[in-house]
Amino acid sequence: MRDRFDTLYKDHVDLMYRYANRLCGEAEAAKDLVQETFLNAYRGFNRFRGDAQVSTWLYAIASRACLRMRRKRKGAPERELSLEEFIPSSEGEFHLQIPVEGLSPEEALQNKELRQALNAAIDKLPKKYKMVLVLRDMEGLSAKEAGTAMGLSERAVKSRLHRARLFVRRELSARGLAEGTHEPDHE
Amino acid sequence: MVKRAAPKPRRRLAATPHRHEAGRCLGILRELSDFIDDELPDDICLQIRRHLGDCPHCEEFVASLRQTVSLCRGNPVPALSANERALMREKILNAVRSR
Repeated sequence: MRDRFDTLYKDHVDLMYRYANRLCGEAEAAKDLVQETFLNAYRGFNRFRGDAQVSTWLYAIASRACLRMRRKRKGAPERELSLEEFIPSSEGEFHLQIPVEGLSPEEALQNKELRQALNAAIDKLPKKYKMVLVLRDMEGLSAKEAGTAMGLSERAVKSRLHRARLFVRRELSARGLAEGTHEPDHE
Repeated sequence: MVKRAAPKPRRRLAATPHRHEAGRCLGILRELSDFIDDELPDDICLQIRRHLGDCPHCEEFVASLRQTVSLCRGNPVPALSANERALMREKILNAVRSR
């Protein structure tokens, strides 16, 4: 059992830490989540039937643990996001406030203000939307894999992902800035 | 020296507010993630492309949504050190023994 655990841990700890860090937004909370994830995996190893990939199984354990842990912490308020709230109503809302045209994402994110605005926007997402965005657009899971990890249908994953993307887009537009949704650090 | 693609000239948006004519823009809004993920049937994609060609507001909106997704995908995250990995493993195994 110990050897199996060591292999599981060695092969997946970096993946789970990356996921945890994206969900929690800070290192210590992410480490707590990784520990809880592997502790639960250790206990549930014998019940893992191999229906999904091991990584998807771990994502599911981490997602459930995160929901439990975040209930105890202050986080973005839980609410449903409606499509109507993302309809632009002024000129400045159609494009991103900080231009990124012609830049790779890596080049664009060297801009500290943009990086902070992006992270603040993701952190503001209600957690069920944030999880889908992280799994699909940051961890690169398919809609089916994200659905397995979160216990959702593919359709529900796509619906939440769309709203999450629209939310982050709006936060990076002039409307996001005007509503004081993040505090850029002017160096 | 980082090579940068020449920025695409931005089309001038109309001075009048975007009024989502006949609800078409709203219909497009609902489909945009599936559109940029290439998960829509060809005929729907064609309709959306035609609309984008006629509506600079929606075209700009789609571009900004694509950019947002690209930024999310490219957002870096710190990695664990070897020491942190080993320490966490010990804590997990201690917790297994103690519970």
